[in-house]
Amino acid sequence: MEIAFHFFVASLFVLPFAAVAAQRSRMARAVVTTAFFVVLVAGAIVAARGFWAGEAAVWDLSAFAPFPFALALDRLSAFFLLLICVVAAPVTLFSGPYVERHYGGAPRTWLWALLPLFLGSMVVVVTASTAFAFLFGWELMTLFSAGLILVDGDSDERRHNLFIYLLMMHAGAAAVVAAFLLFLPGAPGLGFGAMRAAGSAMSPVMKNALFLLAFIGFGAKAGLIPLHLWLPRAHPMAPSPVSALMSGVMLKTAIYGFVRIAFDLLGGGAPWWGYVVLAAGAVSGVLGVLYAIAEHDLKRLLAYHSVENIGIIYLGLGAALLFLAHGAPTWATLALLGALLHTLNHAVFKSLLFLGAGAIGHSTHTLDIEELGGLQKLMPVTGAAFLIGCCSIVGLPLFNGFVSEWMIFRSFLAGSTLADPASVLLPMMTGVLALIGGLAAACFAKVYGVAFLGRPRSAEAEHAVEVPLPMRGAMAILAAFCVVIGVAPAIVLNPLAAAIQTFVPGTPLLHEQLRFAHVLPWIAVAVAALMLLTMFARTAVRLTATWACGLPKLDSRMQYTSTAFSKPLRTVFAQVYRPTRVVEVTPAGETYFPTAISYRSARTTSYERLLYRPALNVIVAGAHILRRLQTGNIQIYLLYIFLALLALMLGMRFA
Amino acid sequence: MGLVHFAAEKTLASSAVLLFITVLMMAAARRISTCIMLFAAQCAIITAQILAMAYVHRSPEAYAIAGFMLVIKVLTIPYALSWIVEKLKAPRDVTASTTPAQSVFIVSALILLSFFAIGPYMQVLRVDEDVLAAAITLVLTGAFLMVSRTKALMQVIGLLVLENGIFLAALVTTFGMPLIIEIGVLFDLLMGVFLMGLFVFRIRDTFDHLDVSKLRKLRG
Amino acid sequence: MTAAISILQALLLIVAAPLVRGTIARLKAILQNRRGASVWRPYADLLKLFRKEDLVPTTASSVFRVAPRAVFAATVAAVLFVPVLHAAAALSLAGDFIILVYLLALARFFLMLGAMDGGSSFGGMGASREALVSTLAEAPFLLSITAVAIVAREMSLSGIARWSLAQDPSRISAVHVLAFAALALVAIAETGRIPVDNPTTHLELTMIHEAMVLEYSGPSLAWIEWASSVKLSLVLALLVALFMPWGMMASPSALGMALAIAAFLLKFVLLAAVVAVGESSIAKLRMYLVPDFLGVASALAILAVVFTAVMR
Repeated sequence: MEIAFHFFVASLFVLPFAAVAAQRSRMARAVVTTAFFVVLVAGAIVAARGFWAGEAAVWDLSAFAPFPFALALDRLSAFFLLLICVVAAPVTLFSGPYVERHYGGAPRTWLWALLPLFLGSMVVVVTASTAFAFLFGWELMTLFSAGLILVDGDSDERRHNLFIYLLMMHAGAAAVVAAFLLFLPGAPGLGFGAMRAAGSAMSPVMKNALFLLAFIGFGAKAGLIPLHLWLPRAHPMAPSPVSALMSGVMLKTAIYGFVRIAFDLLGGGAPWWGYVVLAAGAVSGVLGVLYAIAEHDLKRLLAYHSVENIGIIYLGLGAALLFLAHGAPTWATLALLGALLHTLNHAVFKSLLFLGAGAIGHSTHTLDIEELGGLQKLMPVTGAAFLIGCCSIVGLPLFNGFVSEWMIFRSFLAGSTLADPASVLLPMMTGVLALIGGLAAACFAKVYGVAFLGRPRSAEAEHAVEVPLPMRGAMAILAAFCVVIGVAPAIVLNPLAAAIQTFVPGTPLLHEQLRFAHVLPWIAVAVAALMLLTMFARTAVRLTATWACGLPKLDSRMQYTSTAFSKPLRTVFAQVYRPTRVVEVTPAGETYFPTAISYRSARTTSYERLLYRPALNVIVAGAHILRRLQTGNIQIYLLYIFLALLALMLGMRFA
Repeated sequence: MGLVHFAAEKTLASSAVLLFITVLMMAAARRISTCIMLFAAQCAIITAQILAMAYVHRSPEAYAIAGFMLVIKVLTIPYALSWIVEKLKAPRDVTASTTPAQSVFIVSALILLSFFAIGPYMQVLRVDEDVLAAAITLVLTGAFLMVSRTKALMQVIGLLVLENGIFLAALVTTFGMPLIIEIGVLFDLLMGVFLMGLFVFRIRDTFDHLDVSKLRKLRG
Repeated sequence: MTAAISILQALLLIVAAPLVRGTIARLKAILQNRRGASVWRPYADLLKLFRKEDLVPTTASSVFRVAPRAVFAATVAAVLFVPVLHAAAALSLAGDFIILVYLLALARFFLMLGAMDGGSSFGGMGASREALVSTLAEAPFLLSITAVAIVAREMSLSGIARWSLAQDPSRISAVHVLAFAALALVAIAETGRIPVDNPTTHLELTMIHEAMVLEYSGPSLAWIEWASSVKLSLVLALLVALFMPWGMMASPSALGMALAIAAFLLKFVLLAAVVAVGESSIAKLRMYLVPDFLGVASALAILAVVFTAVMR
């Protein structure tokens, strides 16, 4: 087991060399891709053994590094490693034909070299058992993902977005580094075991500071509002398989980090932690999906939905923190179960949706859903897989999103047994989560309905063809996971509960709380039986034209567009969007016989206006003031050094 | 007698809830006639409350007050207001500056605020917490109606609801004011309503509308 | 024995659903001074539709024919959670009302997809409006049942029904009144009744639910119509089970069963009458006033949840 773990991690860092070596021959590239896929499957098996059987593995590389650097596979790490491998394997399968078709020469080589490195850095992050290893992997993740984004080109606008991405990732990383450094007095080597012991002995002030730093640092990486500025800019820019990995897997490493610090190393804390996390989750969930509804670029829409789902995960984490603070570890376990299962579910269905977007882009060369339509008939497998992804992300029963959302709901209901005000706030969150679910259903009915159903809205969509077999296979694998976890979640729930029990002490979950997992298969059976019964009552079918009120023919322009579909919701939530509308009529004099009318509508994002601009202005103003220190006069600089010497002497005297 | 006792008990237990319902419905109401009917219902509930308390405390004065309440506030004033609405032939909608949903949210917040505000006084006053909160809610809702509804008639109704609240608060904390003062207040109200009715016709005849927000031009 | 009764009550709701619709239509007709069709008319409609052939637009994909069956399957699966004759449903667990609400959401999702598959403006319009109404109705739906569940300290529908049966009917509880008001408003929105949507309109611009099913015919339409009737009786049964369950039998017995069925019929006829009177006396709301209507429901539901702590 240990050897397999070492082999897996090492091969992820060796494969890039193989990719560079094999760049000329197509056959060699196919071999490298297959090897990559096999390595990921091997990683999944290692993780599965760690997750289901509880086998541990360690790899200590401190001899080769300036600071203690060790990897260890405990149950929580095994869960996240499983998540990474289970998602990355189908994505690799998908990338084979996708990259072959869309990239050539140097970009292709870079892509195949950076992908294993990117995955390797994520593996290092989730299996790190010292702070140095964690941060090493953390920074590498940002670096390699930036490289992968650059593979797609570097126009001015892309560079601007990439700059924002790198900036915010570094700011977040700074907060995380500060958080880890706060453990220093108690744990000199910054190994997780020592940090755990130090965390339980820490003063409440230190714990609060640590929590805030970890929350902000990991929140920036996860994409909580208002720190999500980079998400809708960075994720759509990358190639589709890379977007799938970034949205599906990279965001989850932030969740891993937060859970590791807040629950494992600190062991929970004051109730206000829970309130802060709940508030952040609620705001991210609602605003994320509201911004998604107004989008019609498929990848930007999916990026905003990632923000929404991170919000849902944080809702579960907040509830767990509240339960821990009030001394109800059993319900905390349930809430954590829901949150962590949602990370797995989101990884699976989000990557499925991004791969679907890649398939659509592959076939129709456009990702604007206003130009699509009628793709279900032309791309049946892609359409079916995308539909399963849509049902999962909306959280409909019999798909995996529902299982985790139900558990978070159930923990909110249990919150009514706590003291005030948690006894009212937690059930109120039921309403927030229901609103998020309703908005997500509206958004994905729009996406699937406009893109896949109805008539094609452009020539590209009319001539779409189904994608090659490996791409279809990858999507089918992910879709199968969605359905399996949705119908029989007990497979994953029991080991996950055991994993959570390793750091949340308390009695194991009551059988009653997990009874849900046993009722779901019955519901699935009932629904499936009814479907079969009704579908097999075969009746005559006649093909006709759509009812057009007596008009001779309907064309695709008479269908509802995505903007039209979302209009009622955008009107109701206009306070969030604050749209600006500009209507220009030419010629301006003649009102009844214009030659052209142009209508432009844009949304304003309030967080940019209310939060970032003022903060930027304050920082720039402060910088202006500080510039006065730079006089250019050498003697003034010597004076500064002299003053510093004086201050040191006085400081030592009074210390 | 057992039935009467049962009825009195049930009335005292549920009057607060029923008052909250009328207040919420008044916030969501769209027509003036609905508001008038809800006001009459409110007064009926308060009358029932007085009767129940009269039965429990065995006070004949209270029966008299209940009688006057019934005649003046449950029957006469609502009838007079409906007569005014009909004679005015004005549009019957409640022109409000907040939508029904926003009004219901605000009134819900007012209800919670009332409960929150009377919390510290509960040890001192030995009264039913719910009914006192209902009284304060009525006062606040009356004020809110006066602020947010721009029709002159709705201002009258807002004032009447506010007075209802004060009356109920006095009833619950000190078991009512002396009989003479009660009767005086009630007749004052009656005269006030008739005067306001006259003025409403005057305003309508002079300005051709009843929109209070447009009366700003009266400043010098 | 209890399992048999539970299955029986589910079948009762499914089979009697068109009758509820027919009763409401008949009562509305009487109120509007017409004779009206017989209360068994919806059954005749369903039989007629099942015998016809399915007309499918040429542009539609397989989703078009799968959607009505999925709608019916999901709605019927939701029926398994509601107690009707006795305070135990066929399937019950803590938090089952969440499964019920989301099964209805599944049905609605597929209905919206089927509507968009027709490729006409009406389908998109119906789906877009339905998206608006259902988004805003989900939160008060869950919150009002949550409030009742918190007061009853029981998190399953059967548990709440059991608790309500043991309560004193003459005591008015603020939480229950507020939750009932919120749930009644949500019921109107969910089942597409006046003032949210007119189930008998012919004008496409006023349709929400009807616009979504405009393309359907034959057995597909029959499944959808039956599913919407089942949803109506499901929501009514939910209101009865949560707020006025008296009459349900405590232990299986022939007399208890007769009493339970009689109580069920009486309560449903009463609720049908209330719906009919309401529909005949209120005008349909303009579509952009519906969010306000549901906003009132949300405010009442939130107040109900807060009151569980205030008036403890």
